[in-house]
Amino acid sequence: MSNLSDVGNLMFIDLEIIEPGTIVDTSEYLINATAKELSNTDGRNWIPLIVKEIAEYRYQIIGNYFIYAVAEAAGLDKVWCIIADSSEETAKITKMLAGEVIPRTNLSNASNSEIKAALEYLIAQPNSALKGVKIPVATNRIDEAPRKYWQDLKPITKLKCGITAGKKLKALEQVFYLTPQPMPDDIRDAKILTTLTTAELKKLAKKRKLSGYSKFKKAKLVNLLSDKTE
Amino acid sequence: MTQSLVKTTMDTENELEQDLIKSLSSLPSLPSEAIVGSNFIETSFFSALGFSLQERIPGFNTGRGRDKVDYALRHNSEEDNFLYTGKSPHLLVEIKGRDVDLTFNSRSYHSTVVQLKRYLLSTKCKSAKWGIITNSKHIQLFKKHNKTILPATPCIEISPDNIYKITNHIKNKINNTPKALTVAVYNNKGGVGKTTSVINLAGVLTRQKKKVLVIDFDPNQGDLSNSLNIFEGEYTLYNCLRDKRNLISLKQVTRPYIQHFKGGFTLSFDVIPVDKQLANLDEDQIRKEFSFRSLRSKIESLKSEYDYILIDVPPNWRFFSISAVYASDVVLIPTKHNNIRSLQNAAIAIQKYIPEIQEARQEKTDGFELGAVALPIFFNGEKISTAARKNTEQAIQEIIKKAKVENGFNLAPYFGSYHNLRRDNSIFELPNSAYIANCNFRKIPAVYKYKVVYDYYSQLAKEYFLQ
Repeated sequence: MSNLSDVGNLMFIDLEIIEPGTIVDTSEYLINATAKELSNTDGRNWIPLIVKEIAEYRYQIIGNYFIYAVAEAAGLDKVWCIIADSSEETAKITKMLAGEVIPRTNLSNASNSEIKAALEYLIAQPNSALKGVKIPVATNRIDEAPRKYWQDLKPITKLKCGITAGKKLKALEQVFYLTPQPMPDDIRDAKILTTLTTAELKKLAKKRKLSGYSKFKKAKLVNLLSDKTE
Repeated sequence: MTQSLVKTTMDTENELEQDLIKSLSSLPSLPSEAIVGSNFIETSFFSALGFSLQERIPGFNTGRGRDKVDYALRHNSEEDNFLYTGKSPHLLVEIKGRDVDLTFNSRSYHSTVVQLKRYLLSTKCKSAKWGIITNSKHIQLFKKHNKTILPATPCIEISPDNIYKITNHIKNKINNTPKALTVAVYNNKGGVGKTTSVINLAGVLTRQKKKVLVIDFDPNQGDLSNSLNIFEGEYTLYNCLRDKRNLISLKQVTRPYIQHFKGGFTLSFDVIPVDKQLANLDEDQIRKEFSFRSLRSKIESLKSEYDYILIDVPPNWRFFSISAVYASDVVLIPTKHNNIRSLQNAAIAIQKYIPEIQEARQEKTDGFELGAVALPIFFNGEKISTAARKNTEQAIQEIIKKAKVENGFNLAPYFGSYHNLRRDNSIFELPNSAYIANCNFRKIPAVYKYKVVYDYYSQLAKEYFLQ
């Protein structure tokens, strides 16, 4: 960075010219008790607040919000801050590094151990919605499901691994996202075909120029489309 | 004409040897990583291994963040030039300067091994089968079989006298990658679920499209053969092991286990059933008739045929268990967390029995082959209370401490997670299921009967074997 930029610098900044940005929910107890401890020392925050410059003499917090809350509660006028650049990316990664935002894993191509680790993380959270879910079963069924084609996480509820729609599935959205692949037209794996709706199966049958399927139920459609001798 | 051809290959071989010795001896006393790389590895070592310039990529991006391994190598085929495509490396080489101590068990040795393992497991290195670490003073070859990474040689001290032999040995190994991984499932303590583990692992691996052979090497119990209802055929293990002229191959002793499913779908793996004749011999008689090396040499011929060879080993340390461990690449040790003896016995196997086997193996191979290594233990399903778990953790800490104080042996890596390279105190746990015991009477692996059990064992297989 040039001499004309503060990015990367550690600066002692007045609390009143710092905007909180997105407020991170933290327990009042932790804030106040830490503020008390801080007041008993020389009042220096050795772990800095991370801010970006939004205008001249105006800063906004992008990470370590806790430090700000504590400084405020301790009645400090100034806090030590590191000035970060203003990009969205920096804001995002800083929040993750500060442990304020949970990073997400791409479930379309995650490995077995990544899935396991993510589920273990979720279950270890206080009041986890996933309490009672058997990790080995859930991990294995998700791992072996045709998840590269999933458009959303709903198919997980059909795996009978204790993760139902609602709170539990919502919890999974905290850690997983998807970058689905289009399903190829010539797919013949019955396991994958059963995950489609009847309408989708019929569309597929039409694309393959089959006939006489219009009154078929789902099981028969799957059978027809997975038949290797067709 | 043939003669002149032989002469030229001999000449080039000779040249390669001279180059290796020359480049090694002319290194300064404490060469940096860059100098080891440029003056020794690139100049002579890679050529001696048989890799041309077009078959090497320096600073190969492993696909995991910004990780770069010093070299990735692969032989070119007619359609595919490794230097241009950079796809499917076969061998990874991590180089250090001589200031980094790679003596076996040193601190920097361990961190270098961890580094190599991380590279080998990265997305762009899935195809890699081999890895080398060297600082021009020490060298060690590692083998990767799917997810399992094991040392293929001891950590050897290099000198101008042995460098050519070492290089040739490594070259031979990496050009003849065996298809199979041989796994002995062993614990000196009985009742920890060895047979059940073997059967169900075989079931899971088969379902994952791997070709599997299971060997029942516990003649006194014969539980495995009983559980699968498979008994000896025309050729017996006894006759095969006794036959020193290779008239009966181990293949002829195998019997198929076939399971039909609804919808005309079948799965099958091969079994070498127990041989009752072996059970009737006492230890002295056995020792007179067989060498504990026989099983290993018989298995050799099957290594190109199967992906996994699983051996059910009896709970003692006598002829059968010694032969089985000697024959295997890795030893998988089931334990029970509510059974302290099973943990203590695992510790004994790891710090005493397996090193004995390694010594015997190295003796037979001029010190070039390490012999079987232990995989970290796992807990085999049993319900456990929080208090009991605490006790177990404490007992394990004591076992580890004792090994360190009494033998200077570091057991910690064997009482932790296999591939979680950062956190090593989480032992894999196979959950308990009533279904598993049920299946012993039904002559079918539980994993083929119950989906939950399949999930459990599938996770076990993915912990150690499947990437």
